Amino acid sequence: MEVIEHLATGFVAAASLQNLLFCLIGVFLGTLIGVLPGIGPIPTLALLLPVTFGLDPLTGLIMLAGIYYGAQYGGSTTSILVNMPGEASSVVTCIEGHQMAKRGRAGAALATAACGSFFAGCVGTIFIAAFGPPLAAIAQQFTSPDYFSLMVLGLVMAVVLAHGSVLKAITMVLVGLLLGLVGTDLATGHTRYTFGIGGLWEGIDFLPLVLGLFGIVEIIRNLENPPPARDTISTRLRDLWPTKEEFRLAWPAALRGTGIGSILGILPGGGAVLASFASYTVEKKLTKRPHVFGNGAIEGVAGPESANNAAAQTSFIPLLTLGIPSNPVMAIMMGAMIIQGIQPGSAVMTARPELFWGMIASMWIGNLMLVILNLPLLGIWVRLLSVPYRFLYPAILLFCAVGVYSTSTEPFMMVLLIVFTVFGYILFKFGCEPAPLVLGFILGPLMEQNLRRSMQLSRGDPMIFFDRPISLTLLILAALVILLVISPQLRRKREEAFQEE
Amino acid sequence: MLKVRSPQDLGAGVLFVLIGLAGVYFGQDLAFGSARRMGPGYFPVIISYMIICMGLIVTVRAFRVDGPAMEKFRLRPILMLVLALAVFGFLIAQLGVIISSFLMVGIAAYARYEKVNIVETIVFAIAVSAFMVLVFVYGLNQPMPLWWKS
Repeated sequence: MEVIEHLATGFVAAASLQNLLFCLIGVFLGTLIGVLPGIGPIPTLALLLPVTFGLDPLTGLIMLAGIYYGAQYGGSTTSILVNMPGEASSVVTCIEGHQMAKRGRAGAALATAACGSFFAGCVGTIFIAAFGPPLAAIAQQFTSPDYFSLMVLGLVMAVVLAHGSVLKAITMVLVGLLLGLVGTDLATGHTRYTFGIGGLWEGIDFLPLVLGLFGIVEIIRNLENPPPARDTISTRLRDLWPTKEEFRLAWPAALRGTGIGSILGILPGGGAVLASFASYTVEKKLTKRPHVFGNGAIEGVAGPESANNAAAQTSFIPLLTLGIPSNPVMAIMMGAMIIQGIQPGSAVMTARPELFWGMIASMWIGNLMLVILNLPLLGIWVRLLSVPYRFLYPAILLFCAVGVYSTSTEPFMMVLLIVFTVFGYILFKFGCEPAPLVLGFILGPLMEQNLRRSMQLSRGDPMIFFDRPISLTLLILAALVILLVISPQLRRKREEAFQEE
Repeated sequence: MLKVRSPQDLGAGVLFVLIGLAGVYFGQDLAFGSARRMGPGYFPVIISYMIICMGLIVTVRAFRVDGPAMEKFRLRPILMLVLALAVFGFLIAQLGVIISSFLMVGIAAYARYEKVNIVETIVFAIAVSAFMVLVFVYGLNQPMPLWWKS
């Protein structure tokens, strides 16, 4: 019953008044920003990152985790009420949830999403507590070549899950890796690509990069092409609860979604998006009433919402045990941990158990707060949706700028913010998704370090990556994934060729 | 006959090639070393070459595979927002966070393609600036000059 003991440590650490307070603030702020249409968890986290800097590490991380869940939850509220997904993982919720809302079942859809998420969150927390330590034990056997191969796998998976062209996504990862290498090479002490700018010696700062690429570019997109008028659906609180029939349909879906999400979340490159799509597909396959799908099937809300929350939880596992972020959101969490002076990895669990378990316990607490907070506050969130964009965007812009300035008063940080805004804008026009770049950016230095060590070990022989069983397995997985992605494209290509003839 | 079939990919491909070339060019002064003893230039230069290769592939594909048309560059939003950021970054050290926030929100208001209500914008800018100061300076104790240096 070591798990319970560990969790008890965690709850003691997380349940201090200060931590509870900041967990609550995090959940609240996360929901607040997440509800705003068109802002997903990545920019939300990036925007609120500076707010956590002044706190001590555990409190800061608890707050960030709260922001993350809150953002996700807020995103699903917007999807259901406005039919406007804040991010990819709530696209599926839009399909069925908004249809339910149109039929006057918005309350039921929201309650299902909240309860499904909470249930999935509980399971996810237990999952981390149970699987974290054994995985960390395995991680301790990892040597440099294994880490390198693991990162290759993670990046490949990230590429697969990016929207649009796989080729461009791969290149974006590479560009991210290159950007991550700017600054002083820790092994040799040489500065690289700094152009004599002192502000670059320690590398490109994470915050202006993320805020520029995600936060400000998003504003520009919305200003160029104002989103179509939203048909907000107002809810009355009294029809919040699902009917018996709806409940009967929803709970098995939530259960399945939780299972799918928990497992997919652990995979490198996995996470909320993959989980919600997988769960939706499964529900559609299993249903006995396929005609309802697309017209507001409650299973299609319960399953994916549970799945994305479970995955959001378990995707912390690779970060906390292996020190490798499995998706861009985790990359931001990792950035935050590094800023707090914590190097994520298996060492955190042994060296700072109260931090590790405290964070896990806080995830459960955060989920509980979400349910308690959100159902009664629904009215406020709905009203927030009616704030005109002309008030929202200058506030978001100012928040980005003040946030960057508060981490470093160096004027160069503002220059970086502008540079990445322009860069992100060009990428957007060329149809390049910035998420893989961020993952590459975070992993760049780590990959180089592990490649260098591997090569020193093997005296320059690349076969070392194929000699070690762990590394070999990971590389084979990566190759399989690439083959899988390429093959349907090849097939489609062939079909296109046939059609032309 | 070469015909651009995917303008977005063409742009992306050329951009990637340029980034890769820059990586190689500015990395040439860094010692490359060998696989056994990787110099500071080893990994970045290899990555840069990979970027160039991928960029070329994307570029070539732009002539062979159909893709979506490029959206028009509509410059007003980005120019005004960049200007707002620049003004804020430039002035905050001299004029303090209150005035620079006010100016930033004011400039940003002109980033959209609608008529701007000046009174509303001024009131809003004052409110938002005050809110930011409350949150960051008083709430989070971030060190920032409130007003200009005397």
